[in-house]
Amino acid sequence: MGDGKPDVLQGTLDLMVLKTLEAMGPLHGYGIARRIEQVSGETLTLNQGTIYPALLRLEQRGWIKSEWGLSEANRRAKFYSLSRTGRRQIEAETENWERVAATMARFLAPSS
Amino acid sequence: MDMRTVLSRIASLFHGRKLDRELDEELDAHLALATEEKMRAGLPREAARRAALREFGGVTQVTEQYRMQRGLPFLEVLQRDLRYALRQLMKSPGFTLTTVLTLAIGIGANTAIFSMMDAIVLRPLAIPDLRHVVVASEEQGRGYKQVALANYQSWQQQSRSFEELAVRTYAYMNMTGGGEALRVEAAKTSASFFTVLRSKVLMGRVYTERECQPGQNSVIVLSYGFWQKHLGGDPGVIGRTISLDDRVYSIIGVLPRTAQYPSTADIFVPLAPTAQQWQNRADREYLVVGRLKPGVQLEAAQSELQSIATRLGKEYPVTNAGWSARVEPLLSQVNGEMTPIYVRLMLAATGFLLLVVCANVANLQFVRGIARRSEIAVRVALGAGHGRLLRHLLTESLLLGVLGAAGGLVVASLTLRLCLLAMPERVARYVAGWSNISLNGRALLFSLGLAVAAGIVSGLLPALRSLRINLVDELKAGSRTTSGNRQTHRLRNLFAATQIALSVLLVVGAALMCKGMWSMLHFADRYNPAHVLTFNVDLPVARYGNNAKQAAWYQASLEKLRALPGVAHAEITSAIPEGQDEWIDDFRIENRPLMPGKFQSATRVTVSAGYFDALGIKRLAGRTFAEGDTQQAQPVAMVSRKFVDLYFPGQDPLGRRIRMGGASAGDAPWVRIVGVVEDVTYAWVERSMQPAIYLNAAQMPLNGASYLVVANGDPIALAPAVRGALSELDSAIPLDAMQTYRQYVAEALTGLLYVASLLSADALIGLLLAAIGIFGVMANVVAERTTEIGVRMALGASPREMVRMILRRAALLAGTGIAIGLLMAAALARLGANLLFGVRPDDPVVFGSITVAVAVITLLVSYGPARRAAAIDPMRALRAE
Repeated sequence: MGDGKPDVLQGTLDLMVLKTLEAMGPLHGYGIARRIEQVSGETLTLNQGTIYPALLRLEQRGWIKSEWGLSEANRRAKFYSLSRTGRRQIEAETENWERVAATMARFLAPSS
Repeated sequence: MDMRTVLSRIASLFHGRKLDRELDEELDAHLALATEEKMRAGLPREAARRAALREFGGVTQVTEQYRMQRGLPFLEVLQRDLRYALRQLMKSPGFTLTTVLTLAIGIGANTAIFSMMDAIVLRPLAIPDLRHVVVASEEQGRGYKQVALANYQSWQQQSRSFEELAVRTYAYMNMTGGGEALRVEAAKTSASFFTVLRSKVLMGRVYTERECQPGQNSVIVLSYGFWQKHLGGDPGVIGRTISLDDRVYSIIGVLPRTAQYPSTADIFVPLAPTAQQWQNRADREYLVVGRLKPGVQLEAAQSELQSIATRLGKEYPVTNAGWSARVEPLLSQVNGEMTPIYVRLMLAATGFLLLVVCANVANLQFVRGIARRSEIAVRVALGAGHGRLLRHLLTESLLLGVLGAAGGLVVASLTLRLCLLAMPERVARYVAGWSNISLNGRALLFSLGLAVAAGIVSGLLPALRSLRINLVDELKAGSRTTSGNRQTHRLRNLFAATQIALSVLLVVGAALMCKGMWSMLHFADRYNPAHVLTFNVDLPVARYGNNAKQAAWYQASLEKLRALPGVAHAEITSAIPEGQDEWIDDFRIENRPLMPGKFQSATRVTVSAGYFDALGIKRLAGRTFAEGDTQQAQPVAMVSRKFVDLYFPGQDPLGRRIRMGGASAGDAPWVRIVGVVEDVTYAWVERSMQPAIYLNAAQMPLNGASYLVVANGDPIALAPAVRGALSELDSAIPLDAMQTYRQYVAEALTGLLYVASLLSADALIGLLLAAIGIFGVMANVVAERTTEIGVRMALGASPREMVRMILRRAALLAGTGIAIGLLMAAALARLGANLLFGVRPDDPVVFGSITVAVAVITLLVSYGPARRAAAIDPMRALRAE
């Protein structure tokens, strides 16, 4: 996948996409990728292409839906938005992620 | 993967192209947006585009990854492989067509037999939870019998194992009112019969407990077949009345087509025993069926009934002492002993045929593998892995199998149609489930399974072989020789020999069966069956209730028949020789007490006085029946030679007296033996001659009998006159199954005839395929050895020597196959000896003639290739090198 760039864990990427859509509303793939890069402060340079299998995965699960629309520059693009299950899923995924993060934090904390 | 993902993946399989286009468009849009943004930041177009692509990562990888996520990768690979396989097969249409047709025959024949077995052996009765339905009978010593009503009632009251018990018996009734009188078989059942079987009705209703009382029971339920055939499937039939044995019944219901138990029943009428009949513990002539409670095992039910029977034996010693009980599944009762064995035999034979087919296809695959070696070599050289190549080759084989199965369904449905058409209706009614035979979902599944198996069996070895190639040799320019390597030869020889062995096995089996059939068809020849007309008559109890009336009818009817022009003899009998109506009855001999627990029994036949003359059965001692043997005179009997040998060895039986019936038949009259006749076989199944006792129909009349009318000319031409004469006497008596004695014998053999013709068909096809196989191998041998033959001939060998060389090779192959086939056939014939009638399992004529026939056939088909070898021009053969 990534050659040299940090691999983004699948679940992490999914959550990022969901959060992005929650915050921004309907957005096309490029927009989502840019937003993720910006929010992560450009520390996470993801292969933008990897966003598309992730989007498909989320759509297959029914968490997001897509429809064709026009971009700012009047270009035809596919816009993704959160579905109702997706909204509910964010909570579950967030909780899940916080638990993992907390666990990791305990491991990484300097032993006192 | 959750369900939703799976569904969406499956859905995407059906519009992959559209989704591909959309993805392309989406990614284009992404890159365009990215490029534009970078251009706004000041980069020139080209640089901006490059940067956008870099940030995106590999477009191809993403597309690939996306596709993997989108569809079902396994299916996509399969789809691709199938498309490839199909293209490959289209490239060699001759091979494909031959293979598919061969497989179609093999798979089709198997599917047809499976459907038959499925309908008549595995599930002949459409009864819910059939395994809980059992038949209970009373048992004493060696034999088991049916059940007496009072004992049934005791079981019903005292047992806890059954949800419900039901009782039935049957009766022949004469239906009148609509044209010619008709003989119908009625199942007389308790109301619970329908609950035990969980029968549903097609329309109307079944009868109730209340209708099973004497006087209330004038209602009937029709079987589907009877309703279709005799009432035209009239939907308004409920409420109509019909007349049976001169009593009017109203129709209250019709059963569905799937209701097949008992399969012979035309109609169902309530069994309404009188109070006196309910008390009877001795007449064991009712059949009891029951449904076990859930969780109750058959053995538990059996031991419960046994303990009840023991109690009854103490309570009613006269009628019940020594009687036990026996419980068995209804299914095994319905199937009988022979049908499942014969159906399995047929399935085994068609299974062997399929093996021959697979061997044939494998041989074709070998040949094709040789032709394809350069293609494979190129693919290997280009880096195709062995696993992948094997997958492709096997996919081809499987595809061939599936195509063969599709053709096989056509073959199967034709076969089944033929089988159904050829079955006489009178016989079909005794085969439960016969009318349910069809190509159903189970048959489809079965044929698909066969397709996969055949594909793998016939494809695996050739595929593995064709992967073992020497790359360098193959790719060397000009290397176009078709010489296969030694191992391939050995495999091909093995397959060809196997084919011959299996077809020898099939042909021997079929020939034994056919020879047996043939001799059985002619067992009755000594009675001149082509000149005898037979039919059955059942006298309605209502008008012919006593012996005097029955005797008067027979007397009058026989006189009328004898008076017809062209009639040489007219007689009646209770059983026709070489038929299937044998009745074996117990008897006692006067002044000779029976050892307790011992039985003596004999075939009991009741005949009119002229019976022996009419069939030419020789009298050996004493006299035959005469005019003076009337109901007022001393009852007399004739016995067979075997009877004398068994029961009066070295004594004079004449004048001794016997009494029919076992210990329970108290008041049967003593009958004096007045004559001895030669032995006659009554049941064809048991060729061992049974001792026979002949009773005089004039003294002990029957309520139903078979007529034998011996004609001077064509017996069928007599039929209208016979009908006319008897209907003058009583037009309400139906004449059932009117046909010649020869037809009667053939009909009794219908089941075996089916087995024999099916085995013959299997054997012929197998032999044909084996011949094709040998031809293929020999043609190949000649083609591969062209150069060698050229050299030999250039060195002075004569064409005749070349022919001999090739034929020697064929003879070796055929000889091996025949030897193995004969050994297998001999072993299997000995194992299945009890399935063969009228022929020894090691019949030398059959084995000998088949050896010769197969040998001749293989040499004949090899002669073509051998001639071609002889015609090889040494100059041309050597120049080609």
